[in-house]
Order: sequence, then C-alpha cells, then structure tokens
Amino acid sequence: MVHFKIQDVTFAYPDTTDRPALEHINLEIRQGEYVTVCGASGSGKTTLLRLLKSVLTPHGTLSGEILFCGRPLQEADLREQSSKIGYVMQNPDSQIVTDKVWHELAFGLESLGYDQKTIRLRVAEMASYFGIEHWFYKNVSELSGGQKQLLNLASVMAMQPEVLILDEPTSQLDPIAAADFLNTVKKINRELRTTVIITEHRLEDIFYASDQVVVMEKGKIAAVDTPRAVGAFLKEGNHEMLAALPTPLLVYYGVEEQKNSAPLTVREGAEWLDTFFADRTLKVSAYEAEAPYEEDEIKDPAVEVKELYMRYEKNAPDILKGVSFRVEKGTLFAIVGGNGTGKSTLLKSICGICRPYSGKVKIFGKRMEKYCKGELFSGNLAMLPQDPLSLFVKKTVREDLEEMTTGKNKKDREDEITRIAKLCQITELLEKHPYDSSGGEQQRAALAKVLLTQPKILLLDEPTKGMDAIFKKQFADILKELNNQGITIILVSHDVEFCAKYADTVSMFFDGTILTTNTPRNFFSKNSFYTTAANRMSRHIFENAVTDGEVIELCQKNL
Amino acid sequence: MRFDNYHPAIELLYFTAVFLMTIYFDHPIYVLISFVTAVIYSVYLRGKKAAVCDLLLLAAMAAYAIYYASYHHFGVTGLKTNFIGNQITLEAFAYGMVTGCRLITVLMWGSCLYVLVTTDKIVFLLGRISPKLSLYVSILFRSVPQIIQQAKKIETAREGIYKGIRQGNAFERLSHTAGVLSILITWTIEDAMEKAAAMKCRGYSLKGRSAFAIYRFDNRDRSLVVAMAAMLTILFMAVMFEQTTIYYDPVIVMNPVTPLSVVFYICYVGFLCLPVGLEQCNCKYYS
Repeated sequence: MVHFKIQDVTFAYPDTTDRPALEHINLEIRQGEYVTVCGASGSGKTTLLRLLKSVLTPHGTLSGEILFCGRPLQEADLREQSSKIGYVMQNPDSQIVTDKVWHELAFGLESLGYDQKTIRLRVAEMASYFGIEHWFYKNVSELSGGQKQLLNLASVMAMQPEVLILDEPTSQLDPIAAADFLNTVKKINRELRTTVIITEHRLEDIFYASDQVVVMEKGKIAAVDTPRAVGAFLKEGNHEMLAALPTPLLVYYGVEEQKNSAPLTVREGAEWLDTFFADRTLKVSAYEAEAPYEEDEIKDPAVEVKELYMRYEKNAPDILKGVSFRVEKGTLFAIVGGNGTGKSTLLKSICGICRPYSGKVKIFGKRMEKYCKGELFSGNLAMLPQDPLSLFVKKTVREDLEEMTTGKNKKDREDEITRIAKLCQITELLEKHPYDSSGGEQQRAALAKVLLTQPKILLLDEPTKGMDAIFKKQFADILKELNNQGITIILVSHDVEFCAKYADTVSMFFDGTILTTNTPRNFFSKNSFYTTAANRMSRHIFENAVTDGEVIELCQKNL
Repeated sequence: MRFDNYHPAIELLYFTAVFLMTIYFDHPIYVLISFVTAVIYSVYLRGKKAAVCDLLLLAAMAAYAIYYASYHHFGVTGLKTNFIGNQITLEAFAYGMVTGCRLITVLMWGSCLYVLVTTDKIVFLLGRISPKLSLYVSILFRSVPQIIQQAKKIETAREGIYKGIRQGNAFERLSHTAGVLSILITWTIEDAMEKAAAMKCRGYSLKGRSAFAIYRFDNRDRSLVVAMAAMLTILFMAVMFEQTTIYYDPVIVMNPVTPLSVVFYICYVGFLCLPVGLEQCNCKYYS
C-alpha cells in the first residue's frame, strides 16, 4: 500500500519574492518504509514534512496534490490525522505540554476521548515498550534531554499511528542519547511496520537502515533512491551533501571506482578494507607518528588550571575533582567526554561564573581573582554557551551585535560589525530576528556576538550541536582563522569526529577530572571505543589513521 | 498502607474535616489533642526540620497569648495590673493561648498537607470539576518552572560575555535586566506556539476530551471512607452535646466531663492519628 503520494507539489511562503520553498516535488512512500530526507539547511526538508500533516502546514500557496492512503490529505479530518500520522519535532522541551510523564503519555488519548480503562492499558503498554516505568511518575522537568525526546516519541506512539514523521529529532541530544533514540525509531519501524519519515544531520546512524533516501536541494528533490545509489549519485556530482555521508562510504569513494557494493557501516567498511588488501601487499601500514604531547613544555600558557575542586551546593557531590591542565596560546584545545561529567562546569569555572572552592585558575599567568571587575571579560575571555539562542536579546541580529560594540563613533562600530559578520559569514542574517534563523546560523551569529568582546581566549560549549556537515566545515574554518589571529580556543564537545579533524590537542574528561591530554592522532589511535569511525574501521590494518582523509591517503599509497 | 496512596478525594475529605475541627473546637482538651497529633504527624513526615519548626511555632503561640491578654481585658479573674492600669485577666490569657494554639496547629496540619498533596492530586481533583481546567493547571505547572529555568539559562549565558544582571555599573545592570526580560517574553510566546502545535498534532481541540487519572477508588478506599464517616458522626454528636466548645467570657464555663466525653476524646484522637496509624500498622510487615 502507498501511504503518501506527493504529486507535483509546489509550495511558496507568502511575501517571498525569490524561489518557492518547494518546487515540483514527486514522491511515493509505501507502508512500512524507512525514508530519510537529507539536504543542507534551508533546502525545504522541514517544509516538506510539515505538508504531510494538515495542522502543521504553514501558510502559503500550495499546488499539486498530496494523497494519504489513496485520498487527498485534506479529506482526513483532525481525528484521523491525529491518530494515524505521528509527528515529533526538533526541540524536546517545547513539545511536552503537561507536567508529569504519565499525563504526557495520556495526552493524545485524552484528546481522542478514550475511557479510563483503555488509556490505562495503552499508557502501561507504552511505558513498558519504551522502558519508561522507572520515571513514570516523575516531573518532566527532571528528565534528561534524551528522556524527554523519548517521552515525546512514546506519547505520539500511544495513539498508534501508521506513519511517524520526525523532524531532526536528535539535533539537541548528545551522541549517545541520539543513537539510543534512533535505535528505538528503527525498532518501531521493524517491529510494528510503522512507516518512518525522518530528517537528520547524523546520517551515520540511519543511512544504512533506510529504504529510500531523499536528497533535497534548494526546494527540489535532487535524488530519491537506495542509500548506496544515493551515495554514488552524490559522489558523481561531487555534491555538497557528500560531506554528510557516513565515514565508511567517504573512504570507499575516495579509493574505489565501482559504486555498487559500497560499505555503509563500520563493520562493512572494515570488511571491505580486508578484501581490498587481500590480494595487495601492504607497503605503508602506518600514518606518520607524532611526538607525544608534553604539557610541561608549555612555557607561557594562556590558561592554566591547577587542581580545581567545585560543587554547586554545600552538601552536593563534587562536580570537579582536581582538574589540572595548561593550554598553549593560539591553539584549539578540545575536551571530550560523556554527558553530565562536568565539562560545562569546568568552562564556567574558567570564566568565573562558577566559583571553585579550591584550586587556581590563571589567565595569562595572572590569578583570575586578581583581575578587577569586568577586566576579565573585556578583551580577555568570552564564553559561547551551549544554546546560542540564550545570548540574544534584541529584535535583529544587528542590534544584538551593536550591544557588544565598544568603538567610539558610529562608523567605528559599524566597521566592527561588518568585519565580524564577514568573518562569521552572517552578513545576510543581520536584519533577521535571531529566533528566525536555523541552528547553524544561530551558532555563527552567537559566535560573532562573543567575538565582538575581542577575547584572547574563547570558551565554546558544544558548538557543533545541531550543525550539519556543511556548517561544521565552515565553522571549523572560522575557528582556524581565529587561531591564526592568535586567539586561544577551549572547546568542550561530544563530537569526536570534529575534534579529531580540527583540534590541536584533545583531552579526555571523566569523573570530574582530565585523565589524559594528547594530540588528536595519539589520543584517538590509542582508544578503541571512544574514537572516530575512520579509526575503528581501519585500526586492524593501519596504525595512527584517525580521519577519513588519512585512511584514504594510506589506501592510495598502497595501490 | 501509606496514607498518601489513598485516593486524593479521601485526603481532601480528611484534611477539610481536620481543618474545620481544629478551627471551631475551642475546648482546651480538643485543642491539645489536635496540637499534639499535629506535632506527631509533622515530625513523622518531615523529621528534624518539622520539630524545629514546631518549637518556633510554640514560641509564637506564647507571644500571641501575651499580646492578646495585654490588649483584651474581659474576664473576672485578675492576675496583674499593667502600667496603664488595665487588668490582665486569666480568662483573656487562656483564650489567647487557645486561639494561638489553634492557629499554629492549623499551620502544622498545613505543612503536612503540603507534603502529602502533590500537583498530580490537585490536577486530578480539579479534573473532577472540569477536565479543561485540570489540563490548564497542568500546563501551568509545566510552563512556569520552564520559564524560570530559561531565565536562568539566559542569565548564565550572558554572564559569559559580561552582560549579566549583576555585572557592570548600575545603569548597565538595569539595561541588562531589561534585555533579559524582553527576550524572555519573546521566548515564552515562541515556546507557547510550539506547544500549541504539539498539542494540535495530538488531536487537541477535538470534541469529547476525557481526563485520565492514575488514581483508582478501591475497596480499601471505600472502607476507609466508612470508618472516617463513623468517627465523624461520633464527633458530630460531641458538637451537638456542646462538648467541644466552652465559654471564656466573663468566666470559664464548660460542660462537665462525663464517661461519654472520654469516648469523644478517644474518637478525636483516633481520627487525627489516622494517617500515622495507617502507616504504622503497615510498618510492622517490614520490621
């Protein structure tokens, strides 16, 4: 059975003179399929998804036809659409309506007017299937981001929909919670035959499981096919979305010519490398080793932290338990580690938002306490928070940037803004409301705002969260440029791939302290779980290869 | 069986009765019973903290009695003449003590109520009146803390660029605060719109909405209601026999204490000890 049939759909938002948001879309989604929609920000993914549920359809002019189960979508009333088409949105927090987990699970069923007995059973079923029993009675405010998004999924699934639509559901989650969530979605698709339509940045976790991959580009469908065929298509056209593909595919396309048996997972990638080297002799088996990182050699550190201890309340457990490290000037210092281990607290302690009860923080060799009020933040330190949105307070990005300028006359200030906007590539956003831009754009605008304080040390908290592969590349370029200008960057992240590619040093943070610091290559090639996909798929053949580029290079040397 | 596991309607009935009786009964023995049981229950629920709190309240009661006796001069048994020549009387002092005691006892019962009655129960009880009302209250319980949390988040973020509400000179602080407040309003509206979309997605606004509750009214709830009704009937008899109130003005006059009065006292103790008793008789299975 065909669930959705989209016939020649064109959609334009009101008051836009440029191209329509969607142009001539034709798509067929069969029952039980797992469909991944990918594309750069602003390519129309969300608009397409929203058209599939009438209550979410934005204002604008729509032509063409959308058929749901063989009849026009508009003919299905609110009751039918509510129960048959489930929709999970991006932000876990803003979808939860009530204050208790059990009430949230029952919300949709209450709307449909079921009686107590039916709701009780359905809610019990959902709680058991999704493993919610342990936090069934909790306040939703006590849940972690991953639990909140799982609750959103469960409360939609309680209505037993036939189609599940997910719009970047994991963009606000850390990688482990994201993988858990996506696995649950896969399980639903496999066990219940629920049709899944999903947009995602993190293709690694869903690409291989998809039946169809839709590539969107500027409001049009560039390709619809199986994952391998789409990979081949992107490679052929050297498409910008190529960077978003899973590492095994990227390595494969960097080496092989034939496109039909491409590996999609790390396991397949490792197997492919085995067959690739089965009849070749291995001439070069290791990427050049780097000298081990010696922290003591740093003469004049930008930031020096000595045995920092910190807790939030008198009787609370210690969050930081004797953290010590030194950061060399002009480098990108990355701190990786799990959720809730205290990485953000560490950043807050470095810039004085949190007060450690023991230990020293030295900024440019001077104790933090010795800096007088405000001196620390004017030209020395600045921090970019995890949620970039929380920095903005004005109606346009430009006004927000003006809040930070220090120049004497108007001309100076405008020059300052123009320069920073150019650096962060946000010139065309300046007149927009900060809340109206996409996640990646907000992140860059926030960076611009922070940079206007002209810091010599920049603290970044999870900057790549919710960014697509293309934005990440641009963001890394900006950071590199800042490093070249002599700015020291300390970055806290879950994003192993990003740190491996762009950081100068990587530190492992665990249980309130930094366990080890090393160069990315030494760091990741020594780990076997907490490391990059490229390293995991190639470690049985190559030594020291950490990024996809390095694996490709080694393969080519052995050709 | 824990008392807070019973149906919320029972808790509502119980506490309504307790409050009414504590307020209206001014017979010293009844006042004393209510006071002692309230101390026991509050310490049982909240431990050391409640004990300290109760002691402070006791001091407040004494203060109230002294205040009352120094400004009200009814009664015939003079104790002392104060410096402007007014009589401090035994009757006024006694009445002050009793009133003060009732006042603090009500506060103590209130602190127990606060521990027992969670937002779930309020939402549920309101839902009996109107499902819509209970949903709105539930949304309120979700949104208000969320807005406060967002405000904190914005503040922490802006402290990282020296725009916090406690950073800069007085004028700057004011403008920083105004900035946070204005964006908080924008954020709240944005968030409400997204919430509305999420509600619509799950069929909100359809006719015939039901209200789900995790509470059931079992036989154990029924038997407790019967027991409570029996005790309340006996106490109602006490009221009819004028056993629960006495006169303080101009002299202290009370009905004589008969064997029946003792039955009433025991019944009152029994009713007020119900929650602790229920939990205690369950504890023996776990000792």
